[in-house]
Amino acid sequence: MKKVLLLRFGELYLKGKNRNIFERKLCDNIRKSLQDEQFKFENTFGRYIISGYDEERENVIIDKLKKVFGLHSLSQAVELDASEEVITREIAKINIEPKTFRVNVKRADKNFPVSSMPFAARLGEVILQNNKCQVDLYNPQVEINVDIRMNKKAYIYYNRIDCQGGLPLGTAGRALLLLSGGIDSPVAGYLMAKRGLEVDALHFHSYPYTNEQAKDKVVELARRLTGYVGKIRLHVVSFTRIQEEIHKNCVPEYMITIMRRIMMRIAERICVRDNLGAIVTGESLGQVASQTMQSMQVTGSVVENTPVFRPCIAMDKQDIMDIAQKIDTYETSILPYEDCCTVFLPKYPVIKPTIEKAKREESHLDIEGFIEKAIEAEEVIEL
Amino acid sequence: MRKDAKLNCPYYLDNAATTKMSEKCAQVMQNYACEAFYNPSAGYGLAISVAKEMATAKKSLLNKLGAAKGDIIFTGGATESNNLAILGSLRNGNWEYVFSAGEHPSVYNVALHLKQLGFIAHIIPLQVNGQVDYEALEKVLNEKTRLISVMHVSNETGAINDLVKINNLRNKYCPKALFHSDGVQAFCKLLYNLDSIGVDLYSISAHKFHGPKGVGALYVKNKQALKNIIYGGGQEGGLRSGTENMPGIMAMVAACNMAKVKENYEHVKAVRKSFLDVFINEKGVSFIETDSPFIVSVSFTGVNGETLMRVLENEVIVSTGSACSAKYAGNRILQEIGLSVERIKSSIRVSFDTEMSEDEAAQAGGIILHKYQELREKVK
Repeated sequence: MKKVLLLRFGELYLKGKNRNIFERKLCDNIRKSLQDEQFKFENTFGRYIISGYDEERENVIIDKLKKVFGLHSLSQAVELDASEEVITREIAKINIEPKTFRVNVKRADKNFPVSSMPFAARLGEVILQNNKCQVDLYNPQVEINVDIRMNKKAYIYYNRIDCQGGLPLGTAGRALLLLSGGIDSPVAGYLMAKRGLEVDALHFHSYPYTNEQAKDKVVELARRLTGYVGKIRLHVVSFTRIQEEIHKNCVPEYMITIMRRIMMRIAERICVRDNLGAIVTGESLGQVASQTMQSMQVTGSVVENTPVFRPCIAMDKQDIMDIAQKIDTYETSILPYEDCCTVFLPKYPVIKPTIEKAKREESHLDIEGFIEKAIEAEEVIEL
Repeated sequence: MRKDAKLNCPYYLDNAATTKMSEKCAQVMQNYACEAFYNPSAGYGLAISVAKEMATAKKSLLNKLGAAKGDIIFTGGATESNNLAILGSLRNGNWEYVFSAGEHPSVYNVALHLKQLGFIAHIIPLQVNGQVDYEALEKVLNEKTRLISVMHVSNETGAINDLVKINNLRNKYCPKALFHSDGVQAFCKLLYNLDSIGVDLYSISAHKFHGPKGVGALYVKNKQALKNIIYGGGQEGGLRSGTENMPGIMAMVAACNMAKVKENYEHVKAVRKSFLDVFINEKGVSFIETDSPFIVSVSFTGVNGETLMRVLENEVIVSTGSACSAKYAGNRILQEIGLSVERIKSSIRVSFDTEMSEDEAAQAGGIILHKYQELREKVK
């Protein structure tokens, strides 16, 4: 008998001929997430088994596995030889006195001599003999699961811990996340990573109008995201000069529209240069003036050949905040350092901008020159 | 602090936040950490001699404060001294506690805490010159007043409160009340005499006068009037348990003994004048006229003080307000004296020290003026 962790994967079973690619990636990611731990990994007919780990590290290991996309759930189990006698002996040791229980037997190995239902009933009898308790098949207080697998092993477990679900990280390629320092953008990165997308992050700062702490905050956010999305390359681009020029040359209500159009252009330029397949933003429809449908049309229209993913688009602020809490970025996001969008903030930003008007305002600016200079001075932080 | 061309250090004009410790103090600290390291409460000869040196140190501080009698309680800094002075004065019953609105957070937040606990705490507004409103103060004093706490010099504006006047009010309306003053920005900077001022409790902090951080003291005229707020081995006459921080204490006293108060005051006055003269013809720049030459709050119309601070930081270091509270938006003290939000946002605090020459002050002022004009153009 040994203690193991039984891992189940989610929607990989939907995959046909590509399933191998997804599974291989998932196995890699599990190994990578536990790279600082000692453990044995076994892939056996639809389950992964982690064993041979330091029992004192079990909670740490479970926490790490809970962040691996593609895993659906896991259970803490004991592994036995799959024989009637051994299983019955183990079940006889059970010393729990809940009022009600049920036994589930799953028999992946159809060569096991007793079929599932009669065996479950027999094990239930054994428990009833040794404990003061009752069977309740519909709403039991404790479920005792016996999983008999093709590797001639049986697994007994009582709990099921939910994991992230989603698809293995890296199976969808790599994209560029616009990371502002607010609550929404880390959540957007997390949600896309959950669909298998790895991310680089792009942050614009406006030193000296914003302070060093504002940048440190974004580095911290990206670092927190790495727990879910693996290594992040954070691109930090100064937006100061561009903002000063827009402020000088364009009408105030278009300040933010033009800023965002230039940000999107810089983002696409970095995507093309670094072979990143999409831009990810934390925009949520109607949340602020720059996130109306019209604003998104005007800012999105400068992106030529790159899809823009906005996973938060239909979410309420509260839902986004709930996820931010869950992935532990919320506390950092609400630190009170201003980001570059709060500098030169006009009193009345335009809510329904038009492409023509934006183009007219931009005609006062050397956009190409700004973009080149900004990208030239880019700072890259590997996290 | 001088601009050191070799090290390429910026001019340091944030001496109200903290000052540079002198080499001499560092040597004293080293001595009491590594050589004379004995616990002054211990009973053997070497420890007793350390205890004696501590007693001499207290006398030096009392001398500098101009207090013939009374005691020095060593603490972990002025925040602790202020807490001890206020919380140690609390008594059961219907007593009232009086504070100025201009106090440092280590007094002001204690006052708010008292209110939360259900004590009667009056917070007296400030005048436009940054001093406490003496008339308003006079109105709240009565025989139920237990404690008056008004700082000596404002850490935000440099305003000097007239402690003698407050003491006279105390003697007139509530002679039994205790009078505490936070002297952090006054000690070793202004020439005064605690005995003639008449305060009962007075807080000081070493790192504001070139001593080390993490050590300070509370002057106590009559120890019986105060109760301890922490419990332990009963050091410092029971008022501050915990083994005395001898390296810090001895270095603080060394710094105090080295300070030439009168000479420094005159020098800094000239430095401040030389600095402010730079801005005479610039209409966008205005400052609050106050009495301490060490601190001045300057506002720069049309720009954000915080942005200006960052634009300057490679050449001149200034602050946007008390470093202990700079994290929070707005500035309570400047609001209190009635400045507009626009003006508060455009304010920086400049605080001088003896180590800077008049020429250097003018140069630093020139850099600030130039950067201000440049920035104002950009954000116009």
